[in-house]
Amino acid sequence: MFKRLMQLLNREPKSKSVAKSRLQLILVQDRTGIDEEIMETLQAELTEVLSKYFILEQEQVEMELEREQDSMALVANIPVLGTKVRRPIEA
Amino acid sequence: MGKVIVVTSGKGGVGKSTSTANLGTALAVLGKKVAVVDADVGLRNLDVIMGLESRVVYTSMDVLEGVCELEQALVKDRRTKDLYLLAASQKNNKSDIQPEQMKKLCLELNETHDYVLVDSPAGIEQGFQNAAAGAHEALIVTTPEVAAVRDADRIIGLLQNMTINNLHLIINRLSPEMVKTGDMMEPTDIIDILSINLIGVIPEDKEIVVSTNRGMPTTYNHKSDAGQAYKRIAQRLEGEDVPIPEFKAGGLFGNWFGKLFNS
Repeated sequence: MFKRLMQLLNREPKSKSVAKSRLQLILVQDRTGIDEEIMETLQAELTEVLSKYFILEQEQVEMELEREQDSMALVANIPVLGTKVRRPIEA
Repeated sequence: MGKVIVVTSGKGGVGKSTSTANLGTALAVLGKKVAVVDADVGLRNLDVIMGLESRVVYTSMDVLEGVCELEQALVKDRRTKDLYLLAASQKNNKSDIQPEQMKKLCLELNETHDYVLVDSPAGIEQGFQNAAAGAHEALIVTTPEVAAVRDADRIIGLLQNMTINNLHLIINRLSPEMVKTGDMMEPTDIIDILSINLIGVIPEDKEIVVSTNRGMPTTYNHKSDAGQAYKRIAQRLEGEDVPIPEFKAGGLFGNWFGKLFNS
């Protein structure tokens, strides 16, 4: 009881939830063979391309492989401060 | 003609041999003709778990080398009608048997038995490849732990590559108390992750140690929770509709506590 009260006060998630979310992350890597290093390279290359068109908030870029039931998604959060391209004004 | 089922897990120590021994026994008690095959060449232990170690004369290796007939190598379990063990050689290595040879043995046993249960060694190397070579279906044993579920996922991928698609999951050594307090993954969490069919949950049970000490599968013990759970899995394999008891987080605090923090 005391332990539970402490957990309630500390707002520590239950260990089974920690286990489940750790597993989900591990399995994305196991199943795709894409590790942290590849993800960083991909993020660097992607932001480089995107920077040609947008002014990005480089430090805030986040990218993650997420698994939803049977499918997988590359979820990216890329804050844009402005654009670099303008549609040419037609005469 | 029956079914060849490989019992496998990837990770060691999760209860493959115990599950093979108990399910083999439970199926035989249901009146089926069963052969259990130890595919762990060089590190056999199914004979010991079944309590048949003193009666092993020949092994699968002897059959393959033509030292004896398949019939002669089968050790009859005298406690149950129609239960037989094919032991693995202790003197050889896993690479001494090829998948094709193992497949031939399993299919030959399949001609005369309702069930051929193949106890796979741990790992994903040749021992596992041999064990799965002749299988129509697979029973994947895991425990509610991160490492075991991860390895189960790996094995599922390998089995699917071998076009073994009829896969069933056994969650072994589940502690209902820990699930209740939220300190152990519950069956739905594991099914979410592995997305395969759950065929049974074996609760943690001290009787397993006692029965392994005695060489007497727990299935014979009517008071053992694990033994009874194995019996229900045997019935499900036979196509009977036996519900799986639910193990969920809950209790005095669990429910709202869980909802509050796990959502």
